[in-house]
Amino acid sequence: MQLYAPTSTTPKRKAFRAPPLASIDGLRLGILENGKLNAEEMLNEVAQLFVQRNGCTIRTLASKRNASAPAPGNTLVKIAPEVDFLLTGLGD
Amino acid sequence: MAAVAPRIHEAPDDLLAAIDYCYEQGWTDGLPVVPPEVARVKAMLAADSRPAETVIAHHPATGLDLSLHAAAVNAVMAGCLPEYFPVLVASFEAMDRPEFNFHGSTASTGGSAPLIVVSGPYADEIGMNSDVNLFGPGNRANSTIGRAVRLILRNVFQMIPGISDKSTQGNPGKYSFCIAERARGNPWPLLCQAQGYAAGTSSVTVFAGGGFCNVENHGGNTPEQILGSVADAMANYGCITLGQSVVILAPEHMSIVGGAGWTREQAQNFLFSQAKRSIEGMEGVGKYRDREYDAQHGDGAHALAEKGFVHRGLSPDDILITMGGGDAGGHSCFIPSWSRGRGSIMQHAAVRRS
Repeated sequence: MQLYAPTSTTPKRKAFRAPPLASIDGLRLGILENGKLNAEEMLNEVAQLFVQRNGCTIRTLASKRNASAPAPGNTLVKIAPEVDFLLTGLGD
Repeated sequence: MAAVAPRIHEAPDDLLAAIDYCYEQGWTDGLPVVPPEVARVKAMLAADSRPAETVIAHHPATGLDLSLHAAAVNAVMAGCLPEYFPVLVASFEAMDRPEFNFHGSTASTGGSAPLIVVSGPYADEIGMNSDVNLFGPGNRANSTIGRAVRLILRNVFQMIPGISDKSTQGNPGKYSFCIAERARGNPWPLLCQAQGYAAGTSSVTVFAGGGFCNVENHGGNTPEQILGSVADAMANYGCITLGQSVVILAPEHMSIVGGAGWTREQAQNFLFSQAKRSIEGMEGVGKYRDREYDAQHGDGAHALAEKGFVHRGLSPDDILITMGGGDAGGHSCFIPSWSRGRGSIMQHAAVRRS
């Protein structure tokens, strides 16, 4: 019996990781919070550790209106030139 | 990116062995599936005149597409007949809109399931159930269309329980959650009419439903008593959020509400104004947030949003109400939205006849 596979026929997307930073000392840090309860507070606490330990500078705080959707492209495009790395994560 | 040709598997000719083969491939929802044999898939595809490679939905998180062909394969597996296929296609055309956010509502711990509400003459044409035992079991169209939605989320978009579907508890609707709106005896315009579709056009409404809450009231005999019970269910501390709501009134309850001359809009206004909790009460259970209160009471706030209270939803339009179920019984239902807010907004689409 011949069966069709029930999976997508879209070719697998090739995903690439950004090259790792050689050092984070003194870099510009951005925060992307997802709007969940305590997300902003939690990420700010974590960001302060980078400030204290690595001399990072917090340059921007961006918010997602929808925690479960990918960050809008225009948000990332706006943030990218302003920061060297971005801190994000869930908060509840 | 160009699609690759659908892959064919050589499975045992013995039907039971072929069912086992589907299990071994990880293609099922835990229940046996109909093996998607080539001829059956082609018969399913004949229900849509467009090319089989036509893409009807796209998964933003993985880049995976849903083609008519892949939808047809899963429809066969779920047990659908070809005449059900237009409803399944319309469901994904509606779910594909970014506002519905089918990735988030499926992946989330919230455990929602896409509720499919079919409105208009096509529901009767394909033998859907809008009557007794509305949410099942017992009707092939309702059961298998809802099941096909789940199989597509699993097989095509790879929303795998425990891996990319992280529902804390899930809900039984994640096996199948599909109903027809009851037209017989319904005093209100059908949803497809209210949504503005041309006469004779049926529609599918999709809603990320977080569960099912039975609303029992056999003693009330006024619209305020019946809808007051519904509003109380909508505002329970476990459910109240800024999210949307679906309310399916049982015919007995509708005869009281509609029989008193209440329109859908009146019922929506009543439910919105009554489904509320005080700020103090919300604080008492740890669910109060300034940001959410401001969204409801700031610029553009609805006139029925009462200061000092958190209502369910942002406006009466956030409450879909219609009728369904058997003639006997004071059992309506309220279906809450996925999780805490407005991460998914209900959508609708026309059922396309080929």
